[in-house]
Amino acid sequence: MSGPVRLALGNRCVLLLHEDHSSPMIAFRGSVRAGAAFGRPGVAEFASRLLLRGTRRRTASQLADAIEDAGAAVSCANGMESATIEGRCTRESLRPIMRILVESLSEPAFPPAELEKVRGEILGDIREQQDDTRRAAARRLFEIVYPATHPFHRDPKGDAGTAAGTQRPVVRAFHEAFYGAAGMIFGFSGDLDVDTLQSTVAGAFETLEAGQEPAPVPLPKATRRGSAVVPMPHKSQADFVAGRIAVSRTHPDYYAVNLANILLGRIGLYGRMGAKVRDELGLAYYSFSTLDARRAAGHWTVSAGVNPKNLAKAVSAIRAEMERLKREPFSDAEIRDGKTHLVGALQVALERNAEYASALHDIEYFGLGADFLARYPRIVRSLDADDVRRKAVEYFDPDECSWVASGPVKGMKLAF
Amino acid sequence: MKTIAETLDNGLTVLLRPMPHAPAVSVWVGYKVGSRNERPGITGATHWVEHMLFKGGGRLKKGDIDAIVGRLGGKFNGFTDTDFTIYFETLAPDQLDTALMIEAERMRNAAFDPQETEAERGVIISEREGAENSPKYLLSEELSALAFHAHPYHWPVIGWKSDLQRIQRDELYAYYLQHYAPNNAVLALAGRFDPEDAMRRVRGHFGAFRPETQPAPLTIREPPQEGERRSVIRRPGTQDHVMIGYRVPELAHADTAPLLVLQAVLGGWRGFSPFGSPFVSRSNRLYRGLVDRKLATDVSAQHRLQADPSLLTIEATVREGVDPAKVERAAIAEVERLREKPPAAAEMVRALRQIRAWGAYDLDGPTAQCLLYTWFEVVASHTLLDTLLTRSQGVTAKDVRRVAEAYLGEGNRSVCTFLAGRTAS
Repeated sequence: MSGPVRLALGNRCVLLLHEDHSSPMIAFRGSVRAGAAFGRPGVAEFASRLLLRGTRRRTASQLADAIEDAGAAVSCANGMESATIEGRCTRESLRPIMRILVESLSEPAFPPAELEKVRGEILGDIREQQDDTRRAAARRLFEIVYPATHPFHRDPKGDAGTAAGTQRPVVRAFHEAFYGAAGMIFGFSGDLDVDTLQSTVAGAFETLEAGQEPAPVPLPKATRRGSAVVPMPHKSQADFVAGRIAVSRTHPDYYAVNLANILLGRIGLYGRMGAKVRDELGLAYYSFSTLDARRAAGHWTVSAGVNPKNLAKAVSAIRAEMERLKREPFSDAEIRDGKTHLVGALQVALERNAEYASALHDIEYFGLGADFLARYPRIVRSLDADDVRRKAVEYFDPDECSWVASGPVKGMKLAF
Repeated sequence: MKTIAETLDNGLTVLLRPMPHAPAVSVWVGYKVGSRNERPGITGATHWVEHMLFKGGGRLKKGDIDAIVGRLGGKFNGFTDTDFTIYFETLAPDQLDTALMIEAERMRNAAFDPQETEAERGVIISEREGAENSPKYLLSEELSALAFHAHPYHWPVIGWKSDLQRIQRDELYAYYLQHYAPNNAVLALAGRFDPEDAMRRVRGHFGAFRPETQPAPLTIREPPQEGERRSVIRRPGTQDHVMIGYRVPELAHADTAPLLVLQAVLGGWRGFSPFGSPFVSRSNRLYRGLVDRKLATDVSAQHRLQADPSLLTIEATVREGVDPAKVERAAIAEVERLREKPPAAAEMVRALRQIRAWGAYDLDGPTAQCLLYTWFEVVASHTLLDTLLTRSQGVTAKDVRRVAEAYLGEGNRSVCTFLAGRTAS
């Protein structure tokens, strides 16, 4: 099987393809530089939700019927840095689906009735988040760790005020400013050949106007450490999350921090963290860590879902695991296992067209290079064990973390 | 692609789906034991056993499964449902033996260390409490309890909390020994392997296990429902929800194919996968009748494909300011329309095309293929998956109306409502 194909179009849109004709499906994943970090708060959420809800030629219902009549599925979701577009289709439905996608990207109508529906959906999502211990805790944490002036401080969905107040002209202006082809990336995997990519996909995407890529999101400055409690007395379980600003995907420390994170809270049943908090102490169903590395910045978090009476014990155990990194650093065996995990995980992830398309997209998005899949094992194997240990201590220092507890926690004495 | 099926002398059913170009191999073992095999007092035992089977035994010490699969970068997990318990590993093709070894140890040699069993009690209760945080989970649990009075589908897979606080290690171990045997299991492999070589390895790992006498098949039949049932949950929250369930037949029933097409017309089709989808269907009757009319912010329909007679559910999140009763009436009105008149030709074409296309999307990769074929085999038969896809293409609009009339009537209906922020007086 040959390596991925990369097509750079004249309008600075990039298409990537992994051919796999073993099953009659095509998966695609794309992004447009139109995330919540750009424009007025909350507007990106409206733009992404309305993208597939009507064009100048078709109503929302006609568009939905056309996609589903073809046996295809397409979705658009708002992220912090980009709007992501995901889809499934077949060789037969590829042409109509690409036409619909390009039509939606270039001439969305933002129908008033759809805008009102979307307003209700966003308000509903915000309310749901407010009643969800895990999501509410994470949201509050990001408000603490990112400075108020930084886009990552705010909820990508906006808040109740922006959801209630956003009007059609603002959404239209946002689309005109940010939904250009420049910086647009689409990865395809499945029953698709290069000739068809060029004729059908590139032929459709070439018609998009380039527009201007937005300026990069500025790097955030570290905030002071903070904490918060989000009381929800009616809930059965409490959630705890601690975290801090960490590294972007292209930061020189990324690979070492990523490996350290795998070992602390991901590998197997959530690494050292899961082994202690869940497996040994039986305190929580989940206790894990996450490194979310974006283009502009990234953050690291550790989370646990705990019975309120065990919360203080679980929080102490989490802190103890982070402090343990100083006096009992990762052993050579742990680091060796972490490296083989990372190399193996990439290979296994590529078993699905959907994941392959996503990997192709990410490689281009982060500028990792066309030969990244081939180079990746070498990158991981060459990581210096002592550097990984140092980065673990540096980035997972509990004294540098903010924390939030949510759920039936009112009046509780907590310290991290 | 055809599935190669073989049964070992000890009763273990083996399904092989060779995919010569796949970069991985997925190994799944499904056991025909779920919460339907429990009895009052030990609800949640099946799920607890599943947790214990990640804690070693035989050649595996505690933590070995996580460590072995972790260092290989594999995917692994276990799931418990009403009718089955399933475990899997997806690894690089040269690690087929590793996955088979793990599953063989899991089948007969689990340790059930008393201390570990006790530690797991807290984890499982925590899992239950996490689920209780979600209004949608509470509603789903309430609906099952309301719709099934006699059948074990009445209780939740995770079990009632009082049982979880009480169940003892020896009960769990006895449950394990009884149900975890080759003649009560299905082993499925998909990915890059040679079928003959794989069968040789399978025999090497599992061939020596002896079959166990299985308990008599479950004979409980839910008595006929004689009128609509209703329930209300009042609890602090931010959104109201409505969930409606209609009693429908079991997966193996001849009416499942028309009911799936009915589901596609009513609420859209997003494949068989039980793990949800990032894709929202907006070209269906419920969406048009509830979301387009600004009564709900989302709505879905789901035929629960189970071993025994089951439910077709409709779930809606009520838009702020709307009376949940209005949402319920609108959802039922859409169901009634299907009972009165067959779907239009365009709706049928769309529904059939969606089901056909998702037949391919559902099978994206070895893990997904094993999931569906193992699931269908433990609940009914692996051949039923392909049969249903074929049968569904022959379903007519009249068939859809017939099953709507037969199953989606008022007397077959249970309605649960979650009223947020309103406590019972």
